[in-house]
Amino acid sequence: MATVVELARQGKLFKLDPMLDSHQQEFRVLYASPRLKKWIDETLPNLGSTWNIELAPAEQLDGFMATYASDEPLMFGQGFKPLNHLGQGVWELKTADLRVFGWFSARDWFIGHAADTTDRIKQHNLYHGYAGEVVRFRTHLDLDEPKFVPGDDPNAVVSNFDYP
Amino acid sequence: MPSFQISITPSRREAARFVTRVRRSIQKALAEENKKNGLTQSDIARTIGVHRSVINREIRGYKDITLGRVAELAHAMGRKPVLELPEVLPRPGANTEPRASVKISSTDDTAELRQEPTQQRAA
Repeated sequence: MATVVELARQGKLFKLDPMLDSHQQEFRVLYASPRLKKWIDETLPNLGSTWNIELAPAEQLDGFMATYASDEPLMFGQGFKPLNHLGQGVWELKTADLRVFGWFSARDWFIGHAADTTDRIKQHNLYHGYAGEVVRFRTHLDLDEPKFVPGDDPNAVVSNFDYP
Repeated sequence: MPSFQISITPSRREAARFVTRVRRSIQKALAEENKKNGLTQSDIARTIGVHRSVINREIRGYKDITLGRVAELAHAMGRKPVLELPEVLPRPGANTEPRASVKISSTDDTAELRQEPTQQRAA
């Protein structure tokens, strides 16, 4: 069994560098499975927005990461929900065009395993399938117990979730 | 420890973060005005003269927001948008060329878009 950092040292997980400014502290972290890393490296750069908006999906994820990694609130009021619980401790991180599926191994420590475009996920009803793939990956990952934060409370999985 | 980055150019990274911060400033202002004065997206839509769904898509990031719309939204919320583009100067001790970082702050009656110098992170 190993910690997230140890698994990263073993090359079983990969830390996504949020490229914060030099004066910013990284408060929330994201690690990717080999599968998610490959998707970010190879698929994401080629995606265009299905909403025909200025920011390409890769740029949307970068903007999300800049907010997520900082200590800023993730949500303001109702209706701008950047993360959503899918059951069994599986969460999706959301941008206009993307969904990233994974879990929180501890508060502010997200491990992502799969991602896809919102359009494709909705068109083919892939939520359940991706959630199942996350659970299977998590089960077989040699991660210290408890492997995930249970429950559907966003405040339990990220600090400073909601704007007061 | 292996780490990796999202593959986009520095200028597009700056653009992505600026657009994200502008939208978050609007979301924050709306949340504050909703809490303080009960202002809703429908109220804003009526003031501007568009359907509420348009405002909703713009604020949530499913539709681009023009600079003009930023001003209209600010006005409808009783706020004032301000854009400043100060010269980027190298910081003492910086070991690489500085790059621009656009920062937004807002108060009860103003929303400022300010450009500040930052230090390029070491490669």
